[in-house]
Amino acid sequence: MQLKMWILSGTAIVLWLAPLTTLDKKVGWHKSIQGLSLGAAIACAVSAGNIARKLAEENEIETIKTRAITADVVDEIAVSAYVSQQQRQQEAEAILNPVEHLERALALPDAEVERSEPITQNQLAEPEQNDAQNAETERAERALQLKAKGWGKAKIILEVWGVSKGGSPKYKAAEAEYRRLVEE
Amino acid sequence: MRAIHLANYFVAGCIASSFLGWVASLHPMAMRAIAFLATAVFILWGLCWLLDFSVSGWLKISVNNLQALLLAVLAMVLVGGMVILCS
Repeated sequence: MQLKMWILSGTAIVLWLAPLTTLDKKVGWHKSIQGLSLGAAIACAVSAGNIARKLAEENEIETIKTRAITADVVDEIAVSAYVSQQQRQQEAEAILNPVEHLERALALPDAEVERSEPITQNQLAEPEQNDAQNAETERAERALQLKAKGWGKAKIILEVWGVSKGGSPKYKAAEAEYRRLVEE
Repeated sequence: MRAIHLANYFVAGCIASSFLGWVASLHPMAMRAIAFLATAVFILWGLCWLLDFSVSGWLKISVNNLQALLLAVLAMVLVGGMVILCS
């Protein structure tokens, strides 16, 4: 295609200049040849121009395609780098923050725990304390309900704490807790 | 490639000018007709040069491109005319 364009361009120039410079204007058939060659030269030049325009448009399209492909590749690389960075960050956070894992595992709504602090013995013992407090609250509520129904102290202690009346240390502890809870 | 495409059209314009000169050399009436055509083209060229902003808006091209086109047309006519005159 490009060779054809160059040949047509050269032919146009030759057909334009050669007859005008070599042939005589006064001779009839020379003049006819000049006219024909000029017409042919115009046709050759226009054809060459059209071919060159087509090639230029194809080159532009190729350039645009190359740019688009390059942009796609760059975008893909950037996205994969971002994703891998996010994964690494999440893995690092998971490794450096076991408190969060522990909270999730135990389903404790303890939002006040500072995530960046390391685990201490107190923090590990907190769930047990919470369980004990919950049990005590339940016992207090149950004891108050039974007292409101008119139950006696010994019967309430037997029902709630499961300790029968007597001088045992368990009964004494239960009695002390009953007094504390009911009086509060 | 774009320059080659423009150069080919420029050469085509030059050859067309020479062809018009050749037509003018055929007969005195043809000479008058070509002279009239050349005068009309020259007047149109001058008007386009003077009213470049309006014409560029009408042709939907920039003023710089229009001026370049007008100069190219002038150069084509001059080159083609010089070739036919000097041959």
